[in-house]
Amino acid sequence: MKKPSPLLLLLAVLALATACNKAPEASSGPAGSARKLSIALMPKSKGNAYFISCKAGADKAAKELGADLIFDGPTDPDPAKQNEIVENWIALGVDVMAVACENKEGISTALRKAQSKGIKVVTYDADALPDSRSFFVNQATPEGIGYMLMDEAARLCGGSGEFAIITASLTAANMIEWQKHIEARRAASFPNMKMVALRPCDDLKDKAQSESTALLSANPGLKLIMAICSPAVPGAAEAVKQAGKVGRVKVIGLGLPSENRRYVKEGVTDSVILWKTEDLGYLAVQAAAGLAKGTLKTGDKSFAAGSLGHFEIQGDNILLGKPFVFNKDNIDQFNF
Amino acid sequence: MSNPSIQRGWKAALLRHETLLLLVVAVEWLYFNSVGPRFGSVDNSFDIIRHSVEIGLLAVVMTPIILTGGIDLSAGSLLGLCAILFGKLWRDAGLSPVMAGVCTLGIGAVAGGLNAVLITGLRLPPLIVTLGTYSLFRGLGEAITRGVDTFTNFPASFLFLGQERWLGVPAQVPLFLLVAGAVWVLVHRMTFGRTFRAVGFAPEGARYAGIPVERRIALAYVLAGTVAALAAIIYTARLGQAKADAGTGYELFAITAVVLGGTSIFGGIGSVHGTLLGVAAIAVLNNGLVHARQPREVAGMLTGLLLVLALSTSALPKLLALLRSHRQTVNPEPIKS
Repeated sequence: MKKPSPLLLLLAVLALATACNKAPEASSGPAGSARKLSIALMPKSKGNAYFISCKAGADKAAKELGADLIFDGPTDPDPAKQNEIVENWIALGVDVMAVACENKEGISTALRKAQSKGIKVVTYDADALPDSRSFFVNQATPEGIGYMLMDEAARLCGGSGEFAIITASLTAANMIEWQKHIEARRAASFPNMKMVALRPCDDLKDKAQSESTALLSANPGLKLIMAICSPAVPGAAEAVKQAGKVGRVKVIGLGLPSENRRYVKEGVTDSVILWKTEDLGYLAVQAAAGLAKGTLKTGDKSFAAGSLGHFEIQGDNILLGKPFVFNKDNIDQFNF
Repeated sequence: MSNPSIQRGWKAALLRHETLLLLVVAVEWLYFNSVGPRFGSVDNSFDIIRHSVEIGLLAVVMTPIILTGGIDLSAGSLLGLCAILFGKLWRDAGLSPVMAGVCTLGIGAVAGGLNAVLITGLRLPPLIVTLGTYSLFRGLGEAITRGVDTFTNFPASFLFLGQERWLGVPAQVPLFLLVAGAVWVLVHRMTFGRTFRAVGFAPEGARYAGIPVERRIALAYVLAGTVAALAAIIYTARLGQAKADAGTGYELFAITAVVLGGTSIFGGIGSVHGTLLGVAAIAVLNNGLVHARQPREVAGMLTGLLLVLALSTSALPKLLALLRSHRQTVNPEPIKS
């Protein structure tokens, strides 16, 4: 009576674990499916709607190319996780990887290791150190983003007034870069605009909302909140709405049209700035495949990416093009 | 079978728990090896170890703390702070990586000492104290770097520690084995270290038995601080960077491994080798799922499932013993009535 129970339970765990593993494994296709190009795509964090919409484009590209696409990334905020995943992929033996890097220097050691094992590497969304990858699929230059955000903010504020920035984390390399250009543009063209606060929201909508609420009460003269990570835009909008300051405090930011449609239509959020994320995912996978097949080489000036046509290459940056402003006139045309 | 005393009952259960866990690790290994052609390769096996050294170190030194009935929530934050300070000492104070490392270990010991003083001196609950230092250490790291400063471009001789092989094994492995071995000897082979369990089992009893309870508890936290600093150095060498967010959430992974390894969260019961098996069970699962082409989130789910089942199986013998003693007291009654 006493003895078999733990053993039985153990067997149950194992049976369950095996069942869990086996069922989906069959559907994901045989691991060594001979000639199929194996492309691994890593988001900064897996649950983020931004990267989910990148994945939609990536899936489309993989389907057109007949390639096997692995999509995996960190599910918790551990900065070492991306390195581990890259190293796992090296062990797995993928042909090429496309990575959106959370930590520029940190990930580079792992990417170099991949290259030394003959695996091709491209980065997208956020770059690594240049010697650790062949190409960076650049969704928009930091300058383009920073200037466009600042110009839009100044336009809505009439060229003067206080504004605050909500960022993902004080350590995210690409956001720091954008802030530099926002500040440069402000100093050069809009000296009467004043940035009163910069707050991190850990890429969480509810934290962005509470930070915005705090900002609103601490800065009665605030005219605009600029949210530069995607969960922060609806978060800030909700805070402004609940504070009853719609119209008096404007909200702009980098975000997904789908997450902001409601606020844009209600007039809480004025503009949402972004590139077409599906195109970014599509281009990243196309570039990765091109690199692996040899149709994309260092020194090329343009790249033909399947159904999206040609893209300009500047040095080792493949450019997606100019950022796009979503506002209440056009936001209904986009469903990502 | 026969009628074991309650003490022998849980001792046997303890033995079984670790044996079971070993079996789990073995089955995980065999399964993943059969579905992932490259899972069992030497390279991948070393990757599994390299990826779990930092959490393994934290878990090993978390074991004596939990044995005394305490907890250390500040371990991951201290790792982050030590990584920053190590970077600062090397880059800004111009120390060699070795000197910076030695100083960092000292800082870790002091930070662990802070936990120890607050817990034993002021008699505050470890949960509250380390919840405080959890924020304090992380906050200090963020303040020192203002969140943005990243220490990188370490010399290759230092990165060797985290990325290269020494005598055929990843360079950090000997260090890990040294620490794990030392803590194992301390906890299981020295009279001195065995008192950790006595303290956790019955603090007042231990006190009456003449054990310097406060000093033993303090030692566990200082040890944890020092080893967290070592983990920080290895982490920095493995990633090639030190940033304020290093080690985020590691304290929970470490506690999970300790508890999965059979250590009672109330103290008094548990082992270092159990913890090592706990670390291995989680690490193999995490890595193996990649080779089984499973999404990462499945790993979290299965870890949770494993933990819940491990806890229920180890609780089962006690429950059965309780039922049996209940039945024994109940059975004679019908005769009376």
